[in-house]
This record gives sequence, C-alpha cells and structure tokens, in this order.
Amino acid sequence: MLRFGPASGPVAVVTLPLFEEANRVRALAVAICRALARRGVGSLLPDVPGQGESLVPLEQCGIGDFSDGIADAIKLERADGRRCYGVSIRSGALLDTTAALDGRWQLAPQDGASVLRGLKRIKQAAARAGTVLGDRWYLDTDAPIEIAGNRIAPGLLTDLSRRIPWTAADGGFVRTVRLATDPMPADRRVPGAPLWRRAEPDSDPALATLLADDIADWITTCGG
Amino acid sequence: MLPDDYDQIDSTVRATLRDVLGLSEARAAELRAETPLFGAMPELDSMAVAGLLTEIEERLGILIEDDEVDGEMLETYGSLVRFAAAKAPR
Repeated sequence: MLRFGPASGPVAVVTLPLFEEANRVRALAVAICRALARRGVGSLLPDVPGQGESLVPLEQCGIGDFSDGIADAIKLERADGRRCYGVSIRSGALLDTTAALDGRWQLAPQDGASVLRGLKRIKQAAARAGTVLGDRWYLDTDAPIEIAGNRIAPGLLTDLSRRIPWTAADGGFVRTVRLATDPMPADRRVPGAPLWRRAEPDSDPALATLLADDIADWITTCGG
Repeated sequence: MLPDDYDQIDSTVRATLRDVLGLSEARAAELRAETPLFGAMPELDSMAVAGLLTEIEERLGILIEDDEVDGEMLETYGSLVRFAAAKAPR
C-alpha cells in the first residue's frame, strides 16, 4: 500500500483498473497522488488481493475479494476520522462500490460487460488462427481462463459481466471525467491519450496535474 | 458517405493509432492509405490490435465483430480506414 501527502484531513483512495490496465496506469495514478500531495490532499493506493504484490493467486480471487480489499483499507482511514473519497480509474469504478465513501470520482469508468468484451478480444488475439471464441467462451469450464498471462476464475468473469459503476442515482457525490476522445457522458472532458491502452506503460505529467486539480477542487465542493 | 465524414473517420483512426501505439505526431501524420500496418509496424502486435479495435469502437460508436477482423482489414492504413468508414453510422 502506498500513502502520499498529509496524514490528516480528507483522503483520496485510488482504485486501479482490473488486470493488465492496472500496470499501464499505475504511473499515472502515482503522479496524481503526488500532485494531490502538493495540493495538501492525502491519498492512498491500496493493495488488492491477487494483483500487484499480493501473495494470493489471482485465480483464487473474485470481484468481491477486490472490493473487500478496497473497503477494508477505507475502514481503517475512517476509524482515524478521515473523510474518504474514491478515485477510480477505468474498471476500478466497479471495485469501490461496497466501500463507505463520501463521494466517488471516476476517470473513464466502464461497465463490466465492456471489460469482458475487451478481455475476450485479447484472448481471441492470442488464440490459434482459425479458432473463434464463441459466446460461452468462459462459461463451460471450471478451470481458470488465461488471458494475457493472467489466470482468471470463470466465476469472476460471470460476476464481472453484471457489474456497473456507481452512479449519482446510487447516492453521494459522483463526478465522471473522461478524455476528450471518449463520447460517453461525462461531467468534464480533458485532453490526453488513453494510457490504459498502451502496451508500454507510460505517464503523462500534464494530465496527472490537471486531474489532481480537478479531484482536489471536487473534494472541496463535497465538503472535504 | 460525404467526403467530410470520411475525413473525420480518417482523422479519428489516425489519432487512435497514435494514442494506442504511442506514435509520434510525425509518424501518425505520415500514415498514407498504402502504409502497411499489421506485420510491418513493430508496435502493432496482436495484443495492440485488440486495444486498437476496442478504442476505435468507442470513439466511432461502432461494433466490430471478432470474425470480421482479418489480415486484409489490417493490411494497410487505408484498408483499416475503409473498414471503419463502412461500419460508421451515416
């Protein structure tokens, strides 16, 4: 778990996207956390079971384990009397839905069906020529499905297909920020490239600063 | 399709290639209809193709079926733009 900025006051809890995209946006997330610290806002990048340095094999994890990991990290902060704000990137917005948050800020959130479609396409890309994955590509097996080096339980994929990000209708403060190239509904659009698509992890200091300013201002309007 | 629409799709596909593959502005600007893509551009491996197609889908609001993806569609920059233009709502 990485911690940035002051040890009191509101804290931004950053949730990275699932699987490969987590590696691709980690540098961006850390740059956002450092920029928040310069603005006097504390932040936290919690470890999630089955990902990063976790000792639990990914294939033994479900979405519930990921969201419990996030929720547990937030409980500890709340016990210290800090107000907690979710900052999620991409499919990270599917993982902070059970946490006790005062508000949720989302960068380019996507629903589980869309994540699953992307995973199927990656799996298809690695399949032998002539092999076409059908609609039930993960449904007729109990064995983990290997996608780009990640071994994923079929049950996780089934669960993923039903997950949707938290919305304002679910309660609390919600703010959605998207890249200018993304036509989905958003509260604000910002210039920048989708680093979560890059095969080689990259960062974007200008984008990180812009996003951190947006997050810090939003936390203030939420009363944090 | 109106020429303006085709130009719009060309610039969207060009910007998507630049963003997904991390190409410089200069390299993106140099893409011509006959520029070979898959097999010729080292950044464009099969994993990158998966991300590229998904990003093109999102930006153009189209749906690409996996059985439509073949070597011909990705042979040149021009063939990719033509494929996207044929899919785009008019």
